Amino acid sequence: MITVTINGKEIKLEKAVTVLEAARSAGIKIPTLCWHEQLEKYGGCRLCLVEVEKMPRLQTACTLMVADGMIIRTETDTIAEVRRGVLEFLLINHPLDCPYCDKAGECELQDLVEKYGLTKGRFREQKRKVPEALEDPVLVRNMERCIVCTRCVRMCEGVQGASAISVINRGGHSHIEPFSGGRFDCEYCGNCVSVCPVGAIMSRLHRHSYRPWQLGSETKTVCPYCGVGCTVVVQVRDDIIKRVVPKLGTVVNNGLLCSRGRFGYEFVGNKERLTTPLIRKNGLLEPSTWEEAIRLIASRLSEIKDKHGSNAIAGIASPRCTNEDNYVFQKFMRVAVGTNNIDSTARTGFAGAQGFIENIFGQGATGNIISGLANSDAVFVIGGDPTTINPILGLQIRACSRRGGNILTVGHMKGLRYYTPLELRPSVNTEIALLEGIVSALMKKKGPPGSHPVLEARLKDLNAQEADLPRICGIQGKDFSRFIDTLAEAATPSFVIGKDMIQSKGGSYGLFLVSAINYIVNGRIYLLSERANEQGLLDMGCAPDLFPGYRPITYPEFRKRYENAWKTGLPDKPGLTIFEMMEAAKAGALKCIYVMGENPVFNLPHTKDVEAGLKNLSFLVVQDIFLTETAKMADVVLPALSWAEKDGTFTNMERRIQLVKKAVHREGMEDWKILSEISSNMGVRMNYSDAEEIFGEICRVSPLHRDLNYEEIEKGDAIYPYKGEPLRGSTDEIHIEKSAGREERGKLYLRVERPLFHSGTLSRKAPALVNICPEAVARISPATAAALSLKDGDIVRASSKTGALELPVAVDEAIDDSAVMLSNNFQGKGAFSLMEYEIDPVTKAPCLDSNQIILEKVNR
Amino acid sequence: MFRETAIKEIEAIREQYPTARAALLPAIYVAQREFGWLSPEAYESVSSVLGVPRATVRGVATFYAMYKHRPMGRHLVQLCTNVSCMILGAEKLVDFLKNRYGLEAGGMSSDGRFSLVIMECIGACGTAPAMLVNNDFYENLTEKYIEEILEKYR
Amino acid sequence: MERVLLKNIENPESADINEYKKAGGYKGLPKALGMQPREIIDEVKKAGLRGRGGAGFPVAMKWTFASADPKFPKYLLCNADEGEPGTFKDRPILEKNPHILIEGMAISGYALGAEYGYVYLRGEYPGAKDVLNRAIAQAYEQGFLGDNIGGKGVRFHLAVHQGAGAYICGEETALIESLEGDKGQPRIKPPFPVNVGVFSKPTVVNNVETLSNLPYLIEIGGEAYSKIGSPDCPGPKIYCVSGHVERPGVYELPMGTSLKDIIYDHCGGMKAGRKLKAVIPGGISTPVLPPDKIDCPMDFVNMPKHGSMLGSGAVIVMDESVCLVKVCFRALKFFEHESCGKCTPCREGTGWLRKILGRIEHGEGVDGDIELLLSVAGNILGKTFCPLGDGAASVVQNFIKHFRPEFEEHIRAGKCMVNG
Ligand SMILES: Cc1cc2nc3c(=O)[nH]c(=O)nc-3n(C[C@H](O)[C@H](O)[C@H](O)COP(=O)(O)O)c2cc1C
Ligand code: SF4
Ligand code: FES
Repeated sequence: MITVTINGKEIKLEKAVTVLEAARSAGIKIPTLCWHEQLEKYGGCRLCLVEVEKMPRLQTACTLMVADGMIIRTETDTIAEVRRGVLEFLLINHPLDCPYCDKAGECELQDLVEKYGLTKGRFREQKRKVPEALEDPVLVRNMERCIVCTRCVRMCEGVQGASAISVINRGGHSHIEPFSGGRFDCEYCGNCVSVCPVGAIMSRLHRHSYRPWQLGSETKTVCPYCGVGCTVVVQVRDDIIKRVVPKLGTVVNNGLLCSRGRFGYEFVGNKERLTTPLIRKNGLLEPSTWEEAIRLIASRLSEIKDKHGSNAIAGIASPRCTNEDNYVFQKFMRVAVGTNNIDSTARTGFAGAQGFIENIFGQGATGNIISGLANSDAVFVIGGDPTTINPILGLQIRACSRRGGNILTVGHMKGLRYYTPLELRPSVNTEIALLEGIVSALMKKKGPPGSHPVLEARLKDLNAQEADLPRICGIQGKDFSRFIDTLAEAATPSFVIGKDMIQSKGGSYGLFLVSAINYIVNGRIYLLSERANEQGLLDMGCAPDLFPGYRPITYPEFRKRYENAWKTGLPDKPGLTIFEMMEAAKAGALKCIYVMGENPVFNLPHTKDVEAGLKNLSFLVVQDIFLTETAKMADVVLPALSWAEKDGTFTNMERRIQLVKKAVHREGMEDWKILSEISSNMGVRMNYSDAEEIFGEICRVSPLHRDLNYEEIEKGDAIYPYKGEPLRGSTDEIHIEKSAGREERGKLYLRVERPLFHSGTLSRKAPALVNICPEAVARISPATAAALSLKDGDIVRASSKTGALELPVAVDEAIDDSAVMLSNNFQGKGAFSLMEYEIDPVTKAPCLDSNQIILEKVNR
Repeated sequence: MFRETAIKEIEAIREQYPTARAALLPAIYVAQREFGWLSPEAYESVSSVLGVPRATVRGVATFYAMYKHRPMGRHLVQLCTNVSCMILGAEKLVDFLKNRYGLEAGGMSSDGRFSLVIMECIGACGTAPAMLVNNDFYENLTEKYIEEILEKYR
Repeated sequence: MERVLLKNIENPESADINEYKKAGGYKGLPKALGMQPREIIDEVKKAGLRGRGGAGFPVAMKWTFASADPKFPKYLLCNADEGEPGTFKDRPILEKNPHILIEGMAISGYALGAEYGYVYLRGEYPGAKDVLNRAIAQAYEQGFLGDNIGGKGVRFHLAVHQGAGAYICGEETALIESLEGDKGQPRIKPPFPVNVGVFSKPTVVNNVETLSNLPYLIEIGGEAYSKIGSPDCPGPKIYCVSGHVERPGVYELPMGTSLKDIIYDHCGGMKAGRKLKAVIPGGISTPVLPPDKIDCPMDFVNMPKHGSMLGSGAVIVMDESVCLVKVCFRALKFFEHESCGKCTPCREGTGWLRKILGRIEHGEGVDGDIELLLSVAGNILGKTFCPLGDGAASVVQNFIKHFRPEFEEHIRAGKCMVNG
């Protein structure tokens, strides 16, 4: 126990903290500028100077650790004088343009000057002049307001880990550069904006559009973009979102956001939002009324059901919609329509991979706490760059490295390149061989743990020869050995698996091998998730083989439960997966698809096939916020409310349930509401008054969610397995389908780029994100560029078996020589349009890696 | 990018330290020598050889006065004007360099032969005024002596 | 007194290992290897050796802290950044007598249990770098460095790390940052380098001159060493004298030699018999002294009693031809240029002081400028992160304290009374 006296007040402390923290704990405020709770100590601004008895000099409270018996004074006349002096120094080069500055009202410098008073006009020299910089798409910089506290740099370097900015020059010439202006490594996260105490770095999105004190409301909710599920605070004026900011102290993202979360909100207010139902008449979609649309859908569904049976209808649920929406969706499909034909784009990887891993390690195996990654002593990454797919999770991997943990990657992860990764980059089509080699080597080194006989039985005949690996995979033997040694020595390793691994030929076998590695070294698995409620939709039963609570429909006792709960009989055979739906539609067996908040034409591979299937339907309903490629093909289009306009819950990849709250008001109906109306019209009454009531029902029917409620969710306690019971069962078999890719060296294959700034359909309606990353580009390696005589910006025709696109190329050292990277984010220029696929028989995910692509320069 | 020999040189330097980052200052020296000054390509090269972010390389490089951020003349004249040299007439020598060679502080002569940098103390105060031309010290300078010295550097 | 540190430097081959040995070098190291590390530290303590980098910190104390820290490996850094204006005392050792430093570092490394050493050499000494590297290679060849020094299994490796022009890197934590490949900005203390230094390991930073004392100290023993010069801080000391004296240069003399004697005896008095106006006794950061205050023993203990500091022992002598406003202005230009920018008072304050001084110097001073200078200096002094800012502030305070009329005259007349 340490006792210190601050301003005459005795304070007892459990452990040594800084004087600043000690003072805060006792409610004594010491002014600070360079200090920030998220950042490393700095001690540069000198505002927090305090008097400490027996110390000859004044001391900075933000750096000095308390010692027993210390007597500290934080507010004396001398100190006030000192602080005035420091403030005077800060102001001699400051433009004093508060009336014009957007920061006014929440500026820390302004507040301090107000408190300590201004020493006036002693500086007669010229002030430093720096013009406002608008070269960054999302930031506006007013560097003459900068006080060189370096909070932004410490954020960018030490927390975000992008290191896109630095203090340039020294002394009085110090300034911060280059942000994105230099096109260096800016990740546009805007976390520098959060920590800037003055108006030097601000978001450009709301420039001069409001004053902080004019905000109408602030709503704490969850980011709509990826599976990390960051807490965001949505600030609104006149029903327009003005700003989205993070909040300190929240569990998932503690004051941090990525570019999508912070700057991607403008889709909500986008003018292109659907406002009224549309019905196809004489081949054209025409505005209509809700009444007409709902009646039409109900009658067409009933008709098809009567004529072709329930299984002629299928539904596609949405990882962008809430748990409540998705719960009602599957209930509608199962009860009102009577089919298990329910699936989603989670089928493109996450669903099958999670099922596979849980089958081996038990339910919840992939639901690990994201912040735990930072405490791992080794992180193994495969199948995609986590820093772009799940950026905030990526930060934890960087933090792990900073704390001395080892980063091990299979393939090159650009976002981790400054984190001294041990990188194995197997040549094309040899990833499986490499994984086999790793398993064999680890088995030799560590031996079988002996706790999972089924898994170990599977490893018996595996005996890759380490000596052959360098030759087969094109890697260095010593790199391989270091990789193995590091992995073998790790005490708390983590495994991060991205979709590229799942979407490759032999993906389930690859998953098995990674699982085996995880098993041998006793690690934990993180499965990257690209959509905000991918996990939630599965937990809600939006899968052809699952009921809410992640209960397999094939177990009669479960089925009974739901039949009782929903007071109806339920189909006992698994329904169609999303890919089977497309096949069945093409074959004519499926007549109708109901799509909620999804854009299969764009978000599923082999666009032409998807279009052909959907065209072949006799009835297509799309419920969405935009007139997407899919909506354009529909017979009825229903406008939905977006994430910011409704209440509900999302479940993130940790399986944490979090509240999504209405932040702005908009005319219209929530997805669940639309569905209940249609259901009621079909004779199956659903009248929920609000999302909370639906959640109540979920908690009653789902054994996993038992007794949970919004109140507890709000407290942050709703983390798997909640209060209910997880699904336990022992594995007696692991299905593996060994198959190998067909890629050959020397040819080019299309790979899906998963960029930081976009995410499917939503982000392209967010101007800020489009400004950061405005167009589709094909990324190729320098070697490929050289071989094809291409340079940055050249236009190429990229053709595959299924189609061709014209687009510019970018030469990027990070790309493999066999790959052409193209994202799937730009209208008409998506990678999926050039891809065929085969379905992995175990995970039911599409294998996308064998799509050969030919690039030809287009001369204009 | 660096030539192969420069990469080898940096790798050898790197061996002297427990971390790659510690080789940053020497690597920047190599880049300066290889590219003549710290051009964007020089930063890029250092960054990729050592795995240090580009902004960081630039931040570190601009902190130090001896790294050059613009193209330099063939020979670098570094004249001290700190107190010991100043009181013995260094300022007159600054004027002389300007009038005689068109050399201004931080600038380059029009023929690209010399660049001039005004230095803080270079540790030759006992023989002030003093300067360095490239790596060589010249002390007890006078205008005439400077002329003689610079003759040697073409 | 027989020269120790600058012994033999007139010999053009003095940097060669064999010449060094011929002149009696590499005797201390074998003797030290025959002792226990603890015993060496005891000798250093008995000798009363204080650091020659400027602060005069007792060497044995620093070493004791570092050697007591269980973390491993430990590092020994030689501070060869010699950036304090007026200072050129380490340069002759580095360029002409490098083996005395190498031997000193090998002894210190052994005493500390440090297996790795770096010489942090200022970028402005390119010649010294080549000399040192050659000398280090020779020392490796002859087994004074390496994995098995003197056949005793003692390990010490040494390399040169070249700085790149930043005075602040002479400050030990900034030096460490710079060695790690970062900007040379001082670190928060504690933790002190002796516990968490370079690469987060226990680290001792000592000045070139300090370390070069070791071979001789060990050879003659702490007891005998302590008899040289001032009893409070004994040993030989290199004074470097510049400015208006007949014979400027480096003088190795017993610690505590009087400033007056240095100027008038050793340096042959004022140049051309001109009148002394002011002396900066220990490098530009130390308080300037007027002619009537120079009768003082130049050591760490006595100089503060006489209103200044020993600093680096860099004596800058100025005669009546010098405008002190201009000197003060030039000094502040230096501090402004060298401020690392980390802390507010130094970053903003040095520039402000320089601007005011520049105004006065250029005849544009106004009434109240002297008070403003003192007030701004007061707002810096004691509030900065490291002593650089203090140095800047105290330069202004001391020039005004001793030579106020000259400043007033500048402001009043709008011109300089020396140079018109
Ligand atoms: C601004 C500043 C500059 C310094 N410059 C030097 C220097 O150039 N050389 C040096 O040896 N010590 C310098 N020092 C002192 C070092 O911080 C440190 O005290 C010294 O290297 C310790 O060595 P010593 O104990 O052998 O003197 C400087 C200190 C400060 C605050
Ligand atoms: S006083 Fe402050 S700004 Fe000046 S050099 Fe020291 S830390 Fe840097
Ligand atoms: S808050 Fe302590 S020095 Fe800035």
